[in-house]
Amino acid sequence: MQEELMDILCCPVDKHELELEVDDREDDEILTGRLVCTECGEAYPIEDGIPNLLPPDMRDEAPA
Amino acid sequence: MTKDPPPLADQRDTERVYQPAEDTQLLAETAVIHVESSDRVLDVGTGSGFIASHVADETGASVLGSDLNPHACRQARAAGIPVVRADQLTPFRDGAFDVVVFNPPYLPTDPDKEWDDWMEAALSGGQDGREVIEPFLADLRRVLASDGDAFVLVSSVTGVDAVRDIARSNGLTTMEAADESHPYERLVVLHLRPAGSG
Repeated sequence: MQEELMDILCCPVDKHELELEVDDREDDEILTGRLVCTECGEAYPIEDGIPNLLPPDMRDEAPA
Repeated sequence: MTKDPPPLADQRDTERVYQPAEDTQLLAETAVIHVESSDRVLDVGTGSGFIASHVADETGASVLGSDLNPHACRQARAAGIPVVRADQLTPFRDGAFDVVVFNPPYLPTDPDKEWDDWMEAALSGGQDGREVIEPFLADLRRVLASDGDAFVLVSSVTGVDAVRDIARSNGLTTMEAADESHPYERLVVLHLRPAGSG
């Protein structure tokens, strides 16, 4: 994901701002890291360049 | 004995990701007429990324895709679309988008016959066909700019008037931007705007 996405994303649970933590970056694309809610502290993982912003209770209950 | 799927089908992930069909085409063609190069666009349930790519290529707008399905997210990203895994519109800020496009799962499905995999999630709109579009319409006005536009595909099997009623009750105006008749259904693209935006 590109850092500019931060302007339009928010925590899916409480709609507060997210803080970006980068583990791995390639040019200006963030490949691995997490988005952490500045209010509730929930961390949303970024893997293979894709942020997973599903609410925590939906992360695991999904078809195979 | 199980047979391995052919490698190409596996790469394209055609069994777990909805591939472009008539509805996709109609929505993509209708959206590009209205999108301007300066717009920020969200393609909800982007699937293969076909609509998002088409809109980005034809208009030069900045297009983001989102999907619940992780396989779709990967496929859309491989097609060059920035993508977010999301449930409906929940992780997007108020007023974030000039244009929102959505080709929702809309087929009415008997709960006893649901098959519980990603392709079902891409097709089934629950018992009345409106289980996915209802919560979307309830949250749409929040993420649209005050003069924003949304384009949503609806089928006659889902009930076009019922969907328009739900949109109106959520503070949106509705009109038919395009339609196309097929043997078993009429496909309609609804153009939705925040009521009072002129």
